[in-house]
Amino acid sequence: MFMKKIALLAVALAGMYSSAFAGGFKIGLQGQKQIGMAHVGIGLVQDAATVYFNPAGLSFIDNQVNAGVSIIVPRTQFLDANTNISTYAVNQAFSPFSLYASYALPNTPLSVGLGIYTPFGSGIKYPTNWTGRFVLTDISLQAVYFQPTIAYKVSDNLSLGAGFVYSSGGVILEKQIPLQSAGAGAEAGAALDGHANGWGYNLGAYFKAGENFSGGITYHSRVDMKVDDGTASFTNIPTGLAGSFPNTTFDTELPLPSELGVGVAYKLNKDLLLAVDMNYTFWNSFQSLGFDYQDNTDKLTDDVSPRNYENALAVRAGMQWCPTKRLALRTGIFYDQTPVQDEYVNPELPDNDKLGVTLGFSYWLEDRFSIDASLMYEDVARRKTLNTETQIHGTYGTKAIIPGIGLNYLFGKKVEKSVNNF
Amino acid sequence: MKAINKLILAAVFMLGLNACKPNLEGYLPLPGDANFTTYVAIGNSLTAGYADGALSADGQQYAFPLMLAEQFALVGGGEFKVPYMPAGNGNNGSGVTKRILYYLTNCAGQATIGSRPASGTASSLASIANKGPFNLMGIPGARAVDISSGIYSSLNPFLNRIVETPGFNSILTEVLRQNPTFFTLWLGSNDVLGFATSGGLGSIDPAIPMPGDLSAVNQVAGSLTVLVDSLVRRGAKGVIANIPDVTAIPYFNTSPYNGVMLSKGAADTLNQLYTQLGLTHITWKEGANPFIVEDTTVAHPSLRVRQARAGELMLITIPGDSLRCAKWGVDPTKALTDEYFLDTDEMQAILSHTAQYNAAIANIASTFNIGLVDMNAYFKKFTAGFVYNGVKLNAEYISGGAFSVDAVHPNPRGYALVANEFIRVINAKYNASIPDVEVTKYPGIIFP
Repeated sequence: MFMKKIALLAVALAGMYSSAFAGGFKIGLQGQKQIGMAHVGIGLVQDAATVYFNPAGLSFIDNQVNAGVSIIVPRTQFLDANTNISTYAVNQAFSPFSLYASYALPNTPLSVGLGIYTPFGSGIKYPTNWTGRFVLTDISLQAVYFQPTIAYKVSDNLSLGAGFVYSSGGVILEKQIPLQSAGAGAEAGAALDGHANGWGYNLGAYFKAGENFSGGITYHSRVDMKVDDGTASFTNIPTGLAGSFPNTTFDTELPLPSELGVGVAYKLNKDLLLAVDMNYTFWNSFQSLGFDYQDNTDKLTDDVSPRNYENALAVRAGMQWCPTKRLALRTGIFYDQTPVQDEYVNPELPDNDKLGVTLGFSYWLEDRFSIDASLMYEDVARRKTLNTETQIHGTYGTKAIIPGIGLNYLFGKKVEKSVNNF
Repeated sequence: MKAINKLILAAVFMLGLNACKPNLEGYLPLPGDANFTTYVAIGNSLTAGYADGALSADGQQYAFPLMLAEQFALVGGGEFKVPYMPAGNGNNGSGVTKRILYYLTNCAGQATIGSRPASGTASSLASIANKGPFNLMGIPGARAVDISSGIYSSLNPFLNRIVETPGFNSILTEVLRQNPTFFTLWLGSNDVLGFATSGGLGSIDPAIPMPGDLSAVNQVAGSLTVLVDSLVRRGAKGVIANIPDVTAIPYFNTSPYNGVMLSKGAADTLNQLYTQLGLTHITWKEGANPFIVEDTTVAHPSLRVRQARAGELMLITIPGDSLRCAKWGVDPTKALTDEYFLDTDEMQAILSHTAQYNAAIANIASTFNIGLVDMNAYFKKFTAGFVYNGVKLNAEYISGGAFSVDAVHPNPRGYALVANEFIRVINAKYNASIPDVEVTKYPGIIFP
């Protein structure tokens, strides 16, 4: 029975892979236990990371703190369809992290929590002589969410939660300008660097049905990251054109999309459970990326570049097995549909549908203290595109192996069951 | 932060996590039905790599046939000999160096950019025939009608320096003695361009066309036919390119025909003046007005002038300061003379000849079953403007990014685009799969 379910799930996921399915610049690395199970955590509450996954889950966990970090070194390749020339993006490491804490207010149905995590971000750097350098050589996009959260336990089987999100981050974007002077030698360059912030909220409901079944539903609001007075600077501009490229400031806005999520978990026996999440992300809020410069000249005009993202669905399935009281082993598989349409694929985010598999474990060193570890393998399906705006024509491919580690400390009662908090 | 990044990267490498990377493989370049063992490029300055008003060693390394030869080498192409000029600032054939841009202050006190010949002596045009024959047979100044002329090699210094026996060997003999297996042929531009750049001063369809004349269509067609026939009969395959019409290049497009901007008051003053002089066929208005040009058909005792008409082209050679400050093209005694513009009749002659040359070239391509590169259509893309991997290119002088300082010839980036258009046609005609050249690798305009 169990094996049959797994087989059906695998078939379903394989089918989705061949059709159109996405990630954008969302980062699915917000809790180490959850990553081990394909980043499932809406209908299954494991630890304080539920602040992100489902704020309502706070009502069902012990007081604790939880910290984790993952390391990503994505490898991206571009194969130019016109020239047959291959370019690998420069190796860079990224380390999305998360910190969570939870506390049940004594003698009340209320619990509070705090999360600091990095749900959005991206970064890619290309060699400075690559063919697309006039579109992009380097981009770094970062958003750190600070989320104070409260949950209300309606009954022993139902809770509601809400968090306020303050987001702080920034964007750095560099590219070359097709201007060259005998004096400077090198091509001219442009660099945009701005700090951004925004706010939003995170809602959730969590319920249990009997001993073996739980579920949840969440809504993450859209967060508009606004950059005011970022700095725009230019290098190696030919002398006679210096007036056309004044060092100036710029404003821009990047919408971090809202998301609706549902998840369920089912406990097959006291040591084994399965969980499935679906996330539907409203990427269609990202229609264009515009830069509004303070000082406009004949060469430096405000520009708007179309993105036209489409809403995208991710499906995740994970399982956890606890062979001993102190050890939990996890695995999962996910399919993440891209929001980017073919003709808008851009070197800033050479995105496509992603297929990922994950592994993870937790080990309780003592009753209150566990180490969590995860490993994710992600393959962004290769994608041949012709960008209508830049005319860059070729195939992008990306792969990444993402290890992560976390620590979890319980202040409340000691761990008593091998399957935690269920 | 950088240090942390490095530390993490080091750890990642030790763990071997970077070993997992995409491995996209390109297609296999294939020659198709063509044989690129001995490729010879026949043409004029556009084939030679002429740019910035001169032929220089720097420019020759960006000749589009050399770019092609580098791609052909992927599919069995052999050695490609270029008749390099000695290092230096090049030579326009008359001892003038290549033009470079420089900053200046114009008569109105505005900082601007202009061009002038680079300082120093021009590169030597001494013969290097002992190193030949040369695969790159791009002869600046050569017209289609010059192909079979033996005497021409003693007249044209660029041909003179590379042929075995000047005064005897023609372009044709010099090409044929190399037994090409593949050729590109792009001749005919100078049969019209010499006439056009001189403002249409030459004669039209003369029996013996001199440089500056407009060659007769049957002579151009005949000459090209002889060459292609000789090559194809010896088993060569190749492509022939037609010629862009002059309206596509910045030399004729930088100054509009109606570049006189007037206020209401200035227009009124001019109208009074022109009425007093009896030039009542000319009226001025606020805003943009056509330049005043010479026209001998105008009935007037001394001032045979009229306003330029839409479609007439002003040449880039009109001194800018004379227009700006010395009232050229406005003052009735300073009408633009014939050498500075192409009038409606001249334009008609140029455009109709270009169209007829191109019809003949298309006919040759189909008769001899070789590829036809429609450079006329391709150059019109510059007029409209287009984007290549994020680089905006158009036919504007200097800022357009595709033409060199001389406003006629492409710059290296422009030549790379030309090379890719040839590759596109060669791939289609001969079922080959030759990769494009990497256009952004080549420089555009170099500012001072």
